[in-house]
Amino acid sequence: MAGNGAIKRDGGKGVKDMVMERIKSIKDIPPEENMLPGTPTCAGCGGLLALRHCMKALGRKIVIVNAAGCFTLLTIYPYTPFKNSWLYTAMACAPAGAQGIRDALDILIKKGRLDPDENLKVVVLTGDGSAYDMSLSSTSGAINRNLDFYYICYDNEAYGNTGVQWSGATPFASKTGTTPPGMLSPIGAELAKKDLFAIWNSHKPPYLATISPAHPVDLINKFKKAEQYKGPKLFIALSPCPPGWGIDPSYTVKLAKLAVDTGVWALKEAVFGNLKHTVVPKRFKPVEEYLKVQGRFAHLFKPVRQEGALNKIQEGVDEYWNRHKLLL
Amino acid sequence: MYRLRFHGRGGQGARVASKVLGTAAFLDGYYAQDFPLYGAERRGAPVAASTRIAEDPIMERGVIPEPDIVIVMDETLLQDPLTMPLSGLKPGGIVIINTTNSPAEAKAEYKINANVLTLGITKIGLDMLGMPILSTLAGGVAARIVGLSEDSLTEAVKKVLSSIITDKKLLDKNVAAALYCFNAITPIETKIELKTIDTNKKKSTVISLPFEPAAVSSPAINATGNTPLRMTGNWRVFRPAWNYEACTRCMICVARCPDGCILINEDGYPYTDYDNCKGCLICVEECPTNTLGKVMEVHAKKVIGN
Ligand SMILES: Cc1ncc(C[n+]2csc(CCOP(=O)(O)OP(=O)(O)O)c2C)c(N)n1
Ligand code: SF4
Repeated sequence: MAGNGAIKRDGGKGVKDMVMERIKSIKDIPPEENMLPGTPTCAGCGGLLALRHCMKALGRKIVIVNAAGCFTLLTIYPYTPFKNSWLYTAMACAPAGAQGIRDALDILIKKGRLDPDENLKVVVLTGDGSAYDMSLSSTSGAINRNLDFYYICYDNEAYGNTGVQWSGATPFASKTGTTPPGMLSPIGAELAKKDLFAIWNSHKPPYLATISPAHPVDLINKFKKAEQYKGPKLFIALSPCPPGWGIDPSYTVKLAKLAVDTGVWALKEAVFGNLKHTVVPKRFKPVEEYLKVQGRFAHLFKPVRQEGALNKIQEGVDEYWNRHKLLL
Repeated sequence: MYRLRFHGRGGQGARVASKVLGTAAFLDGYYAQDFPLYGAERRGAPVAASTRIAEDPIMERGVIPEPDIVIVMDETLLQDPLTMPLSGLKPGGIVIINTTNSPAEAKAEYKINANVLTLGITKIGLDMLGMPILSTLAGGVAARIVGLSEDSLTEAVKKVLSSIITDKKLLDKNVAAALYCFNAITPIETKIELKTIDTNKKKSTVISLPFEPAAVSSPAINATGNTPLRMTGNWRVFRPAWNYEACTRCMICVARCPDGCILINEDGYPYTDYDNCKGCLICVEECPTNTLGKVMEVHAKKVIGN
């Protein structure tokens, strides 16, 4: 039964034994829950769904270093949903916090004060505001130093916790608290979303992948693959956010699927810089299907259709897949 | 001065309700203040907002500890020990509860010793707007209680909503719903003076904290996995309901629940952990068979509908 606490997969033995077979279907997802319910995240939070699967893949022998954002609310005194340790850092420095913990664990093991079996994986957890903007430089430094850590960025494409303000991850033409469509800019956000995958990949880290809460099998297999590498293992999860994106909470998974099926969110991985797409839709749906169901893009359709902006978005997606010679 | 406090759940519109009321009061020529209580809680979690209305300039600031009128937009909050929506309510104060129960029933059930008015605004919201967003409806109810005009209410709804939504039809529906609620309530005679006579100038209650080293003064949680104690099940507006005839045990619902609130019984069938399920209804949306449906939640415990 789910959540009864038995860790079958690692047998409590240690990180090395954790390398697991690839799973094939939803039925193979490990039943153990490493993050319990009752957290204050919004009903239908896409980031939480992604994290729940990441936690299943990572197991319990981890320590999370969490930069300020929605997910720092997961652990509010005196409650925590985790069975592992968790540390709160400022927005710009979670990777620096991870370095400190990694060093401390390594020194303790070296001095014989910590059994190597008690070793922990260090996992940085941040939103896009941290990952794309504020902690970009400290992450770059950590990757460059080949710090042995995981990074999970749940990308809800805005500063969610403070009420949905524009971030470097906000897509072109999206409405946020600080990019309201109006007289000055009828399209909302005027800048393009940063390509964080490309920025991180330019460091050629051992493992880097994009993931989706709607593709848990792909997600878990990517974590399993990453496990064999020492050094930075980085993940970006596009995470539908009901209040931020203007969708019904029940629609999170449908929308995450649409992001992949329209080509807006490419599921891919890169090993030491070598790129491979892991899920390529057989036929791409028009991007409009993804946009029109979200409140943050409603101004592109009403009161007048903003054809120019809609075309620009579709062209951007087509250009990406053409560049990778995957547009059929 | 009227001091009102709105209690709702994130996403229901308590903040906008207080703004509609404050704006309507302003348009009627009063001084007004409206503001939410800032907290790092989100959609579904308890939230509060306040409005002050007076004939003279308002010198009070900050949260309203002793309201004259409390609007409870979500009935389940009355049983929530962390919210206590009626705390500080003045003697002779008024409580308006969003419930389908009568005032007498509500008074008895929640042991309330104050004037109680009830109106099932969730149902009205679902019928008239097609969604359980109650901001303009609660604003309409409150405007009637404090004796504002229909015209100002109409203007206020238009003014406040046009900065939030672009859909003209939805805006018109909100005006209609606000006016419907305005007229559905029979106000109680109150003795609250609009002239500001008492202000909340009491002795400072700020507690001075001595310096402590970080090891003592920063919070540390030494428990593991105890969030289920928070029982987020009372966030639900709808609950997922099971009918196992068509269930193939495909496990899709289990894989799709963000909160991990779908468990498996001994026969391999999934079931909901209702203590914690927040009612996002992703499972209902994703179930490939007809196993999952939704039922409106009236109380945290009682269920109506089919
Ligand atoms: C240096 C700094 N600036 C501002 C804040 C206030 N703050 C707290 S959470 C947050 C939003 C973080 O956004 P993001 O990283 O995208 O995560 P999300 O809230 O979307 O989960 C902000 C701005 C902070 N904690 N630290
Ligand atoms: S604001 Fe968005 S990302 Fe943050 S908890 Fe809510 S749904 Fe999740």
